[in-house]
Amino acid sequence: MAFDIDKYTSTSKKVVWGDLDFDQFRTNPLPESTLRSLRYMADIEYHTVCYLRDLLVTPSHKEADVSAFMTMWNREEFWHGEALAAVLGAHGVTLDFDQLKATRLKLGWKDRLDPIKQSLLGNIVGKDFIAVHMIWGAANEWSAVAAYNRMADLEQHPVLAELLRRIAKQEARHVAFYATQARERLGKSRKAQVLARFALKNAWGPVGSSVMDPAEVTHVMGHIFAGPEGLREIRKLDEHISRMPGLDGLTIVENSLRNKYGYVAA
Amino acid sequence: MPEHKEAPADREVDTMRCPAPDFDVREYARDAAASHRDELELGAYKTSPLGADTLRLLRYLQIIERATMTHLRGVLVTATHKDARITAFLTTWAFEKYWIADAFEQIGLAHQPEGTDVDRAPFITPVERTIREAIYANIVGLPMIAVHMTLGTIDTWLSQAAYRRLIEIEPHPQLTRTIEKFLALKDRQLEFFELQSRYRLTESAQARKITKRRLVKTPWPIGAKAEPPHETEFLFQRLFGSAREIISELDARIDSLPGQSGLNLIRKAARL
Repeated sequence: MAFDIDKYTSTSKKVVWGDLDFDQFRTNPLPESTLRSLRYMADIEYHTVCYLRDLLVTPSHKEADVSAFMTMWNREEFWHGEALAAVLGAHGVTLDFDQLKATRLKLGWKDRLDPIKQSLLGNIVGKDFIAVHMIWGAANEWSAVAAYNRMADLEQHPVLAELLRRIAKQEARHVAFYATQARERLGKSRKAQVLARFALKNAWGPVGSSVMDPAEVTHVMGHIFAGPEGLREIRKLDEHISRMPGLDGLTIVENSLRNKYGYVAA
Repeated sequence: MPEHKEAPADREVDTMRCPAPDFDVREYARDAAASHRDELELGAYKTSPLGADTLRLLRYLQIIERATMTHLRGVLVTATHKDARITAFLTTWAFEKYWIADAFEQIGLAHQPEGTDVDRAPFITPVERTIREAIYANIVGLPMIAVHMTLGTIDTWLSQAAYRRLIEIEPHPQLTRTIEKFLALKDRQLEFFELQSRYRLTESAQARKITKRRLVKTPWPIGAKAEPPHETEFLFQRLFGSAREIISELDARIDSLPGQSGLNLIRKAARL
């Protein structure tokens, strides 16, 4: 299945919410724990540019299609941040650029070393490293789709649900790109498969876990993936990943949530 | 310009809360120009095609406009990526530039036989210096933001000058309409870069020093390394060979940036 980059770029839009009745948040506000999860999601969307950086230090950006995708993807995610910030704003929670900067500053040396580490790896391992980024990206985008849809179902708030489904729809297009890229690149190279397997098994964590406080990760994952239905979603994510060439049997999402973030389904 | 006290050499905390307070990044992001395909009126080139030199220049401009991801690679490994206002701007800037490059590509394609494939060859990028850049930039810290904002300022000045000359040399009515639209987009991008650059350079002696050192080493226009040297030579020769006063004017503008006088960057790049 090819990914039509021209079709993607020419239909890439910023998510809109101006037509939604945000006044409903005044009469029917979201509970505190939902706002906490939304805050997390907004932060992560805004931080996409930091992931973009990690992608860019590998040779992947030299490819015209990848470069085009990254341009659009980065912008769409920024607008998801803006949309979620608007929901928070309607509840009196402000999330401004200076706060985002503070989060990024807190990362300190780890953040400074990351591009160096990535770049070293990327340049030593070369093209096969792109496959790791692609499967990583696919895992993140699959998680995002699942998280937004789950939250829409859980919350049953008409305005929030509509907005989250609009966002999830865009995330699904990102999945299509990353998954197509990952499948192709993994399928072509045994070395890429070994590398991806190793990286996912040892280093994967839920989206945002590298930037946010572990307590926030625990809250959000526990909130979104609560109950047997949540567990089913988690397993679906692992299924998507393990269906990729050379990645069968991996259960990184469930493992990571259980072992690192104290997730219990029931 | 308001007077600013010299900032302490604090590399961790950005004391400059909002160097471009009059520039609303959110509004810029909201109004960003997307695809221009519907307004390119490509039919106009069928009846009145552009000259070969103009097409060659447009191809060059397309390649430097689309090199944003390569440029961002260098920018994002530095302290600049921490500043959410700047990353929001750069996100949108890259998006607008993508569509400018796309428009040039479409105009080029309109001069090819029907069904010609678009160029999907990998980009030529300068030697990978990401590691060195990341280490260097992390030692330098905040003043790197001034470097990046100044690079953006000068590059926008240069490309605006190139666009203006292009339609002077080839006053094709449809190309002129398209280019004028792009000039306006660049006006707005420039506003952010220039406000940021002037503010940050005024604020810090270290920023002035490091920026100066960086500007001298930069190949102009940014992205020039994605093309063989003879193409850059052709660009300067064709556009400014008989309009050298524009080169002097650009260099004079660079001289007006705090601590950046006497560099003659464009004259040296143009080698005219």
